Amino acid sequence: MFNEPHPDEVRIITKRFGLPNSASIDTYLAHEGYVAFMKAAEMTPEAIIEELKVSSLRGRGGAGFPTGLKWSFIPRDNPKPKYVVVNADESEPGTCKDRLLIENDPHQLIEGCLIAARTIGCKLGYIYIRGEYRYLIDIMDKALAEAYAHGYLGKNIKGTGIDFDLYTHSGAGAYECGEESALLESLEGKRGVPRIRPPFPAVSGLYASPTVLNNVETFCSVPAILRMGGQAYADLGTPKNGGTRMLCVSGHVNRPGVYEIPLGFSMQKMIYDVCGGIRGGKKLKAVIPGGSSSPVLKADECDFPMDYDNYARMKTMAGSGGMMVMDEDTDIVKVALRTMRFYAHESCGWCIPCREGTTWLRKILTRMDEGTGRRADIDLIHELAKNMLGRTFCPLGDAAAMPTIGFVEKFREEFEARLRETVVPVTSPDQLIAIG
Amino acid sequence: MSTSTAAPPTVVNFTVDGRQLSAPPGTLLIDACKRAGIEIPAFCYYEGYSLQAACRMCLVEVEKMPKLQTACTLPVMEGMIVRSETEQIHKARKGTLEFLLTNHPLDCPVCDKGGECELQDMVFRYGAGESRFTEIKNHEPERQWSPVVFYDPARCILCYRCVRACNEGMGVGALGVTNRGVVSEIAPNMVDHLDCDECGACIDICPVGALTSNTYRYKTRPWEMQHVGTVCTHCSNGCKTTLGVRNDEIVRGNNRDRSGINGEFLCVKGRYGFDVSTNEERVTSPMIRINGKLEAVSWSKALGFVAEKFRSVSTAGGSFGVVAGPHLTNEELFYLQKFTRAGLKTSNLDHARSGDLVTLLDALSGKTDALATSDDCYNTKAALVIGSDLSQQHPFLAFQLRADVRHHKANIYTVTPGPVREAKYSAQSIEVPVGGEFDALRNLTETLKGEQELVILFGDSIKGQRVRDLVEWASGLGIPVKYVCLVDYSNSRGAMDMGVMPNLLPGYEVDPHPGMSLGQMLSHETLDVLWVVGANPLRGKTLASKQAFVVTQTMFLEETSERADVVFPSASAYEKNGTVTNVTGQVQRLKAAVRTMGAKTDLEICGLLAKELGLAVEIGVWSHDVVFKEIHKSVRGYNVPLPILITGGAAATNPVNGRVAVDVRIEDIQSAGDTLFTSGELGRYSKLLTSVPEFPGALYKR
Amino acid sequence: MALITNILNNAAAVAKGMSVTLVEMLQPTITDAYPEGPAKLEERYRGVHVLQRDENGLEKCVGCFLCAAACPSNCIYIEAAENTEEGRISGGERYASVYNIDYSRCIFCGFCVEACPTDAITHGHKFEIASYNTSTLVYRKEQMLTPLPADFKPLVVKQEAPSAGH
Repeated sequence: MFNEPHPDEVRIITKRFGLPNSASIDTYLAHEGYVAFMKAAEMTPEAIIEELKVSSLRGRGGAGFPTGLKWSFIPRDNPKPKYVVVNADESEPGTCKDRLLIENDPHQLIEGCLIAARTIGCKLGYIYIRGEYRYLIDIMDKALAEAYAHGYLGKNIKGTGIDFDLYTHSGAGAYECGEESALLESLEGKRGVPRIRPPFPAVSGLYASPTVLNNVETFCSVPAILRMGGQAYADLGTPKNGGTRMLCVSGHVNRPGVYEIPLGFSMQKMIYDVCGGIRGGKKLKAVIPGGSSSPVLKADECDFPMDYDNYARMKTMAGSGGMMVMDEDTDIVKVALRTMRFYAHESCGWCIPCREGTTWLRKILTRMDEGTGRRADIDLIHELAKNMLGRTFCPLGDAAAMPTIGFVEKFREEFEARLRETVVPVTSPDQLIAIG
Repeated sequence: MSTSTAAPPTVVNFTVDGRQLSAPPGTLLIDACKRAGIEIPAFCYYEGYSLQAACRMCLVEVEKMPKLQTACTLPVMEGMIVRSETEQIHKARKGTLEFLLTNHPLDCPVCDKGGECELQDMVFRYGAGESRFTEIKNHEPERQWSPVVFYDPARCILCYRCVRACNEGMGVGALGVTNRGVVSEIAPNMVDHLDCDECGACIDICPVGALTSNTYRYKTRPWEMQHVGTVCTHCSNGCKTTLGVRNDEIVRGNNRDRSGINGEFLCVKGRYGFDVSTNEERVTSPMIRINGKLEAVSWSKALGFVAEKFRSVSTAGGSFGVVAGPHLTNEELFYLQKFTRAGLKTSNLDHARSGDLVTLLDALSGKTDALATSDDCYNTKAALVIGSDLSQQHPFLAFQLRADVRHHKANIYTVTPGPVREAKYSAQSIEVPVGGEFDALRNLTETLKGEQELVILFGDSIKGQRVRDLVEWASGLGIPVKYVCLVDYSNSRGAMDMGVMPNLLPGYEVDPHPGMSLGQMLSHETLDVLWVVGANPLRGKTLASKQAFVVTQTMFLEETSERADVVFPSASAYEKNGTVTNVTGQVQRLKAAVRTMGAKTDLEICGLLAKELGLAVEIGVWSHDVVFKEIHKSVRGYNVPLPILITGGAAATNPVNGRVAVDVRIEDIQSAGDTLFTSGELGRYSKLLTSVPEFPGALYKR
Repeated sequence: MALITNILNNAAAVAKGMSVTLVEMLQPTITDAYPEGPAKLEERYRGVHVLQRDENGLEKCVGCFLCAAACPSNCIYIEAAENTEEGRISGGERYASVYNIDYSRCIFCGFCVEACPTDAITHGHKFEIASYNTSTLVYRKEQMLTPLPADFKPLVVKQEAPSAGH
């Protein structure tokens, strides 16, 4: 289930991985389980938030928003009920860390939720798990039942006076529902389309009430922070980029897998050392560093310390940690097409640029791949993606546009080469219809 | 009536394209710009409905904001500097339109919307003349969802206006979205068909030709029509409807110009119920019963025949009974009552009454400003509906209340004998059998005392003494209360105002010589003449008098005409000029849109009869404007500002002024209980109304 | 002296005039013998309109009214109707159930031809339409429509590929 740990890893949230029966509450309790929550119960909400701010924990779902700051936005004097919602709708291509966290250590997530609930004064939480992770719902439900049985959920938890109920909720297979406001819509039983923001979920989230909504990994990091102290956690990473994060390496490396590394770890080292280099001794061509939404990096750009700020400096993003490594034989046009097919399929259809743009791009890229591309198509792809960028309702449009722009700008010669090798004369009327 | 608590700044100053503008805080930028004459294009934004920000057309540049912002979701802020027309914005709009056109078929020549299509306009203004899209377009076949609604998914641009109009505006929620991404489309509530009000609001609000109506499809093009603003002839709400007329045929009804009290609102009758005027069963020639059969004769023969009979009955001292219809214009009603009282020297004059306004006016004597208008229904902080399924019977008033809840967070209370749609959004909804209303009201008393103001809308179950009880109870609430006495048809209110009652003259003056009411006339065994103008009193009833000479002025050979000795073909309300008064007492102008061969207006028929009887000088000229001048001068409450009326506005009348001391026979007051798809005598002659599935409110299954 | 110059001038003028006549005598005739013979019309002559059919024999006119809108003399009258599966008249969704042109008003300007989005209306070469009865000048669709050849066989309409969708 989980790859062999590498000595360069710093295993904070994955430390119980590999223990026998690691998902059970007994294992969890034997390994500092629920210690952090008991500690949090003694602390004031302000102190918890302060600790998170010191830890410089940033959201692990993709956007990298400081978690302490996010929690501090919850208006605690609001008379409405407050909610904790876990975003376990892990659908970003290349990302597979949340499933391991839930599979191997579900109680860590429960504890993270408990601390969040303690912080904002909330009594009810939901874990929104993507529909395709059906088996995780069973694992999570079992863990919840254990937590209830041991009194870590329910009324007056362990005599602290804190009440908290936690439920799982299954998504129905929409990438869009990983976007926080669409997730909330879906959780409310509506069509999973994003909401107008502001108001943000912290103010008006689930059922128009203040809601803390974070990624699984973010919640899982919280108990560790409280256990070891914010400063110690922060010191693991680089300034403003505290702690460790899970990196899901896939593609043409010798040892693909999920690794927990401190922020600021070198990408070069990651590929060639931790992951054992490129498969078959080939040359590196490109890396998609943070899930399919992040712009691609060329081989010569892949040497920088991986923290949020350096990703931004490289004009890409940390995303959800789905790092895809491609060797020299990779066909970039096919990669672009595969990526766009995903986004065209997953676009929710709410706003025009994303709905129509992704499909148009998919059609052009399909044509290119099939050998009926035209010279003007390359610029057209680039311009259409630019037309989508920043003009869509939610980040899905950007997520589709950014990598496409990256592919065209950085590997233009591959697109052009594809045109040269496949010049198909127009002969039959059928083709005329197809081409227009 | 201001509710503002602290006092935040009442005005926000900002700059758009270098112009200094100001607007109240909370105003959306797109609205503020519109008011200042700066157009920001949008498909999905629609004033009055919830925000979508889905079409991305309204993007503007705002200083200090990195990305383009949607003007439809951005409230104006102090010192905000906005640019609405720049290179970048033009490029963005052009890009969005190019995206939109990828899967939008370019079938403008056959599209009903071509010529008044918002997408056409936008592409004309911002779009590219050529498309770079050379792939195969997505295509789905067109579908018919109901007798009214057709949907063409290919043309749909998914602005969700129809979804909101149906859900928020109509309170029906019959439309939704299905599928995902580029193949998403609008879906009806019953998978492949609609179960709804068939109001057609979705069709009207559609910016493109995705939703089309069966009545208008492929008939004409927008520029081929003349547009005639008149008033819907069906229920009493008096919605303004703009008829599209081509070649003397009405091809569509809508109110897209938002003229009139109803803005864009119309129900199925207002939009599609105009086909009564083209029904082939229309009577087109006067007829006289010869040997038991109605035979077509000339106008002069029929008029002479009737005049002769009237004269002989009059000379012999026989009894006349005159029944008027609730769809006639004020002018016709006034002229008819004058004819009856001055010409035939009798007050045996009545119409089918559907609400006890007379007692209400008496009970309100001394109070001013106690009758609510349709605007009051939208602006009130609280409303109480008693004994009426408002959404079925008074769709526009129900729409006003829904808008009131949406925009002003008003509290609606209902006390009805059955389930009503208002219950979905009401503060409190009580179901009680007829007769038990006052028990429910007593339970509401304390709650209502906490309201700031109240509009009470009551149906025909509150009549006679119960009206007085209601007024007394409401006076005890200690808050300003206004009333709406609900009546059935387009001019039921006008018939009362014009004195078409046996005991009241125009303006609710007491008739010193009261005559017989409708019920009394029908049961009078020696009635000599029954003259029925635009009504059908013998539907489900019998005429006791065997000897009666029955004259009808009618559009169709209904039950009364089957008993008639003479039948005159009369014009429909779409073929008349004049005025009508709606349920809330607002007078509006009726404008003739078409002509039908053979038919004359009831005013003209009455006038010709008067002339034939030698009474023309006494009763006056049968021209609608001359008669209206007289009404304006002499009828209480009708001294309305003429400019409002002439320009197609609605002028409120207020006849409350002192006692109306007459006996009201409450057994004569009975609502016909129409639903959305019935319209008294007219509904059954509308092919469209009879074809739509009928789902009457449970309240009126009687 | 003056007299001689005068005579010579006159003789020169006559010779010049006669030379034109002589040259023209030898040129081919360009005058039409119409109405004895047929009139010779240029390709782009704007005569009585012809309503075209497509390769499947369906009417090209989709009843869009754009010709009527463009017509400066307001002589085109159209009523449109919807095609049904059983009775398909035109290629589009609707067709012109009535299409009249009033030739007592038509000025043969060709605006309608320019306005037509489907190239359904064109000018033919018929122009001898004078009549003692103006009512015969209102031409109906049937009079203007190109007839189907007797041996006409429609091409099989190829179904467009269904949408790729998902």
